[in-house]
Amino acid sequence: MLLLQLLVNGILLGGLYVLIAQSLNLIFGVMGIVNLAHGGFIVLAGLFTYWFATTSGLSPLFVLPLAFVAMGLAGALIERFLVEPLMLRERRADLASLMLTFGLSFVLVQLALNLWGSDFVSVPYLQSSYRFRGLNFDAALSISGVFAAVISASLYVWLNYTLSGKSLLAASQSPTGALSCGIDVGRVRMVAFGIGVGLAAAAGVLVIVVLALAPQSANDFTLLAFVIIALGGLGNYLGVVAASLLLGLAQSVAGYFWGGNAEYVLPYLLLLLVMVARPQRFRQSP
Amino acid sequence: MTAEEKTDALARAAARFRGAHKSRIAAVAAGLAAALLLALIALTGSGYTLQFSTDILAAVTLAYGWNLISGFTGYLSFGQVSFYGIGAYATSILVLRAGMPWYFAVCCAGLLGALAALVLGPIMLRLRGILFALGMLGLARILEVVFNNWNYAGASLGLSLPPALTPVSVYAGMALLALLGFLLNAFFAHSGFGLDAMSLNEDETAAVALGVPATRVKVIAFALSALLPAAAGGLVAWNRSYLDPSSAFDPTLDLETIVFVLFGGVGTLWGPLFGATVLMLVAEEFLVYLPHFELALYGLVVIATVLAFPGGIVGIFNRFGYLRRPIILAPAILPAGEPPQKRPPRADEAPVLEVKDLEVRFEGLTALDGVSLALKRGETVAIIGANGAGKTTLFNTIAGFVPPSRGEIRFFGRDVTRLPTFRRAQLGMARSFQIPRSMPMLSVWENVVLPARHGKERQRAVEHTAWVLHVSGLAPMWRDRAGRLPPGHQRQLEFARVLALAPEIAFLDEVMAGMTVEEREVVRAAIRRLPEFGVAAVVLVEHVISAVADLADRMVVLDFGRKIAEDTPQRVLRDPAVVRAYLGEPR
Repeated sequence: MLLLQLLVNGILLGGLYVLIAQSLNLIFGVMGIVNLAHGGFIVLAGLFTYWFATTSGLSPLFVLPLAFVAMGLAGALIERFLVEPLMLRERRADLASLMLTFGLSFVLVQLALNLWGSDFVSVPYLQSSYRFRGLNFDAALSISGVFAAVISASLYVWLNYTLSGKSLLAASQSPTGALSCGIDVGRVRMVAFGIGVGLAAAAGVLVIVVLALAPQSANDFTLLAFVIIALGGLGNYLGVVAASLLLGLAQSVAGYFWGGNAEYVLPYLLLLLVMVARPQRFRQSP
Repeated sequence: MTAEEKTDALARAAARFRGAHKSRIAAVAAGLAAALLLALIALTGSGYTLQFSTDILAAVTLAYGWNLISGFTGYLSFGQVSFYGIGAYATSILVLRAGMPWYFAVCCAGLLGALAALVLGPIMLRLRGILFALGMLGLARILEVVFNNWNYAGASLGLSLPPALTPVSVYAGMALLALLGFLLNAFFAHSGFGLDAMSLNEDETAAVALGVPATRVKVIAFALSALLPAAAGGLVAWNRSYLDPSSAFDPTLDLETIVFVLFGGVGTLWGPLFGATVLMLVAEEFLVYLPHFELALYGLVVIATVLAFPGGIVGIFNRFGYLRRPIILAPAILPAGEPPQKRPPRADEAPVLEVKDLEVRFEGLTALDGVSLALKRGETVAIIGANGAGKTTLFNTIAGFVPPSRGEIRFFGRDVTRLPTFRRAQLGMARSFQIPRSMPMLSVWENVVLPARHGKERQRAVEHTAWVLHVSGLAPMWRDRAGRLPPGHQRQLEFARVLALAPEIAFLDEVMAGMTVEEREVVRAAIRRLPEFGVAAVVLVEHVISAVADLADRMVVLDFGRKIAEDTPQRVLRDPAVVRAYLGEPR
């Protein structure tokens, strides 16, 4: 029964992770760059949600659409004016944009620090839990896990079954090919970055109802998302779902048996383990 | 070129060299004067000035450390703070618990950091680009957790360090470390080893094909770049008389280091020094007014530098002809050069190349299926076949880029099947790439001296390089940046780099693709001359059969990874199996 309970918690946490990782994966898949400011967006949206929920007393979920749209627009603008020039100019755009988003991440962290301070905060939301056949479904975790999974699934459907989504996939698989099919690759990159950042913000809203957040945890989320992508396969959408669930489970088990430290380092240990054991997972075309 | 033009060109080259030399001496003198001035100000000023000077020197040291691996070698690291933390803890524990004198402990910590990098390097540096950067970011977080829970090291409360060092000794120690950092960076900017490192930054795959021992170079660069922060970490910890995991592995330290190097000029000798000094002074003046915006401002500096002036301060100087890196191993004037010494063939000589029953599989697809091939001295063999027949895979396997699942490759009777690519290149197996892969930010000279350097003494390498530049027609533009060459010259450079390895066997991958008939004739003439350049055997992969039919002694035809014919060109082209492979079954 205990193991089953851990399984439930792990899967719910994994559902949340899917969204955290998928938003980074979308940008990586289309543009070949890692957005190091990813965790910054998550933290910023999460802390805004905290501020909104505690001052207005309304449900934090109201922030979800607002955060998605506002941050998505901000992301599109960042792509257009900061990242796009590098994509067009640099021979090693992946490394140049890594630098750029590294700088951006500290701007976001400072913003969050100045607005909301450096304390870890969490939204006291839905403290109850649902019981079903002797299993506890933590209400907040269930809602955020399910929301995150639904958003990720809609992303998957949009990408694979609509024309606009497919043009995005096309641009990720072959920019030149997409260009010659009349797809405006520059605009696709802007849309992808915008949606990626918007989804990161949505993830931030869902994270703060479950976990305590502080501006300094930004990098942890970036790395968490990256570990999941690395485990699931770069640009592989279904692989990322599997890896998210796996990591959620592993963390919930490790956290129960060996405590919070184990839960915290697990993603990093996995990252190093994969690097040592299966470096071909990371092999990029030479 | 007339004799007059020649002397004129030589005079200009000499003048340019003298100019470069003069500005270098001036720069070194200015640097020394500035350092002396700083030392005077620091030592005669108040305690506050001394502390601030020490902080600047620490920033310079960290910046120089980061520049070695991430600037010159091109492996971006967001986790050099790992070594800083390791060094800080090592120094503290050695002094506190083992009673070691502080200077000895700092040296030990530096070596320990380098050792840690030597152990981690082969693992971490297998990853290229983004992955290495993120791997290092993760490493710093793991170490923070480890030290948070390690009671011997004070766990999360940290260690309180009794005052053992005077501020002046910290200052002196840090000044020595900054000087060491400068010297290491100067070594990278002026030596053949530095050229190897920079070639990895430009194009690692091509560098390996040119005989650069990539793994060794990277790991050494990584170890040297870890030594500096590890040694500096101990000094800073004692200076603050306090050490805990969150300050030892603070990610903002990496941010500051990266800001300084980027702003000064990444991958340059003077960039880290300028960037750290200027930004520290500016921050000291202005952050008083904006106390809570340090991170954001540094972040914005990174963004602005990457977008608007990627070369940093040194890049701006370069634009006006100052502080340019001298061309590595280049003489003042291009000498006439010497061709390589011919190795006399032995009577009982084994074939130059022997490929036996080679098989390569890519996840279910058999790219090569039992291909055998032998080349004697003096032979030229053309490999033809439709797209996807396995021609380039055969090249990649023989050169060592693709491991075969079965079979054997012998070079003069020596089994090289498991030999790393760079060793094969050094032995004299040279390949060209289908699309020229010159190193665009390096000069033409450096592109050629890079492969010519390995296994030769310096003077021989210089003479050989000069000879290659003359015979390949690149002598007039030998100091130009390779990235500026027009496409025709890029192809000549690709060819020159093959010659620079002084190869016994040359593999030329579609060197004539997309060329006009006239251009093709130039290349064909060059290929015919290869034997007189000391090349014992030539293998050509070509699409344009007419271009190689009269060059090759034999033709090998591949179809779906299998050898379907091997004979003289005339017979092969009449072979019904070959005709079928190219044109399909008659109906």
